Amino acid sequence: MERKIVVPGDVVSDNVKMSGSGTYIRGDEVCASVYGLVNAGVRYVSVIPLSGKYIPQANDRVIGIIIETTHSNWIVDINSPYDGLLHVSQYPRRIELEDMKKYLKVGDCVLVLVKEVDAAMKVELTMRDKELRRLTDGRITTIGPTKMPRVIGRSGSMIRLLKSMIGCGMFVGQNGRVWISGSGNRIDLAIQAIRYIEANAHTPGLTDRVQAFLKAKEKTMQSRMHESRDNEEW
Amino acid sequence: MSSGDNTVMAEVQRDHLFNLVLKGERADGRAFDEFREITIETRAIDTADGSAMVTLGDTRLLVGIKVQPGEPFPDTPDKGVIIVNIELIPLASPDYEAGPPREGAIEIARVVDRGIRESESIDLTKLCITEGEKVWIIFVDIHVLNNGGNIIDAASMGAIAALLTTTIPAARHDLGEDTPLPVRDIPLAVTTIEFGGEMMLDPSLDEEKIASTSLIVATNTDGSISGMQKTGAEPLTIDQVMRVVGMAQTAASEIRKKFMEV
Amino acid sequence: MSEKPEHFIIDGKRLDGRSRDELRPIKIELSPLDRADGSCYLEWGRNKVMAAVYGPRELHPRHRQNMTGAVVQCRYNMASFSVDERIRPGPSRRSVEISKVIRQAFEHVVFTKFFPKTAIDIYIEVLRADAGTRTAGINAASLALADAGIPMRGLVSACAVGKVDGEIVLDLMKEEDNFGEADVPIAMTADNRITLLQMDGRMTTEEFYTALELAKTGCTTVYELQRQALIEKYGDEYRAEGGSDE
Repeated sequence: MERKIVVPGDVVSDNVKMSGSGTYIRGDEVCASVYGLVNAGVRYVSVIPLSGKYIPQANDRVIGIIIETTHSNWIVDINSPYDGLLHVSQYPRRIELEDMKKYLKVGDCVLVLVKEVDAAMKVELTMRDKELRRLTDGRITTIGPTKMPRVIGRSGSMIRLLKSMIGCGMFVGQNGRVWISGSGNRIDLAIQAIRYIEANAHTPGLTDRVQAFLKAKEKTMQSRMHESRDNEEW
Repeated sequence: MSSGDNTVMAEVQRDHLFNLVLKGERADGRAFDEFREITIETRAIDTADGSAMVTLGDTRLLVGIKVQPGEPFPDTPDKGVIIVNIELIPLASPDYEAGPPREGAIEIARVVDRGIRESESIDLTKLCITEGEKVWIIFVDIHVLNNGGNIIDAASMGAIAALLTTTIPAARHDLGEDTPLPVRDIPLAVTTIEFGGEMMLDPSLDEEKIASTSLIVATNTDGSISGMQKTGAEPLTIDQVMRVVGMAQTAASEIRKKFMEV
Repeated sequence: MSEKPEHFIIDGKRLDGRSRDELRPIKIELSPLDRADGSCYLEWGRNKVMAAVYGPRELHPRHRQNMTGAVVQCRYNMASFSVDERIRPGPSRRSVEISKVIRQAFEHVVFTKFFPKTAIDIYIEVLRADAGTRTAGINAASLALADAGIPMRGLVSACAVGKVDGEIVLDLMKEEDNFGEADVPIAMTADNRITLLQMDGRMTTEEFYTALELAKTGCTTVYELQRQALIEKYGDEYRAEGGSDE
């Protein structure tokens, strides 16, 4: 389905009850508040922004980078205007304060859960849940947080396709950071696919085209391998 | 040279870059001695007496020249003056802050300045109007618009490209006819970073961040050296320094070909 | 600096051949800078301006943080080579004042409440100045804000009106600005709410009202160009689809 692009201030509905995210009410009309794509649902009309920062919400799973160790917290960059706090008690096992640096040090990547965000935008993180951990291998790439849902796809269709066709591990954080594991050229291919999704995030029918994109890539990679083998035989 | 990027790099990204170096590769697929794409557009700003817009990969900057009559320095009464200034404006990077230039910006400006001055590519005696009283002052203002790494090489290219297209605005100051600024050579500063024991030209932003040290070498058409600056705390061996000089000479002569088109 | 012309309007045409209610040509390039969260390059007549937006991002120093919303900050700056006489780098009284009124032209429009404790930074760099750099800067900044995904009530569009040879004209050129009788830069939203208004010179009340009406049509024209630039950014890519896959 092709979606209409709107700019802030454009009227998207004349029924104020329909005002969804990315919109505001002006008089008796609903207007876009962001530059984005109109998503007209049955009960709400919303505007999906084409760009913007990640604003943390409770229960989001995000990929963070440790940027500082304080007395009892790790401060975590979560690709957001707001840094996250990971308290020592939220580490998966009990550790002493003086040992904090042994477990997580500046530059380490972590897969964490947003536990709570208060009104002052204090963001508390935790690693005390299944799958949450330090990421020691693989690579991290970043996609605009507003485009991140397209890497996951409807009920996970896109990420399943990427994992199976490429043959890599992948975790997509709500904050737009993507962790990819596997061998070097698999990761390279996965990153190319993500860049493709990012550039085409506003267009419909993306899953089919990503499939075609990956097939074409694999083909050129294979023919290159054949070429180099041919050369070796010489 | 670090032009000031403060964000913490993820350890896995650092490892990845390091592993690539071990395989002789770079993240963007370039060879160690390969520059990113360079574009130079001269006469970009008509209020300036000379100007150039330079892109080097994602790095983009604008150099504008203003030539004005002024007083010479007391110790060089018969010579014109060149003043190089660089503005790392906050528009160009999330890490730049408004305010007076910091040490990084001042260092870049001074290195570019020395490269041009010491090459004697501009004959300062030709810029004398009245000895001891009035000379032409050449202001080279470098306006960085997007920091994609390696500001210094881009600034060096931009400065000399802008100088090559500069007119001395004599008529505007009732000092005779306008004449082109005489430029005798094309000095170019080339930055080489050391990382994992390897030497690399034209560092990207990420490479700049992980480099332990870098050496900037300004060279001229005849291969002579007209300025050097080592930045970063890690020492370099004599062999490494000599290798870097060779790399800078070769790279500069390649880039100089671009100037034939200007 | 050039001499004052004897007449600004001859046979209904201005010095550059425009009619009284005509804008100089405008060229817009969206997102030219990859480090910024949003950016826009804009040419207006002989003006060349670059605008970038960073944010919302953490605001330092902490005591400037607002618990109920983002703080909008603006820095308008002229490159030293952007005018005939070199300008010394750094802020001047003029640039500080212009930065303030531009900031306030956007404060009403941006939905700051979603981003407590942060800053939204607007940077405007004048690379080549003619008359009307602040209005050119506002138009570029408005697009840079949209490009950064900042929620807003609407775009802000700006133009100047003025009085030369006793007549009200739209979008002053340099001679008209320097030697004319009045210069009125105005910024407004698409529904004609005025967010910036300054005046330098003298006008009667009637003339001022005529000027406001003229500014309204000027801003509407600018708005259409801004809107078109945003729609086309993705429209073009969309049309390019279906060809080569890369």
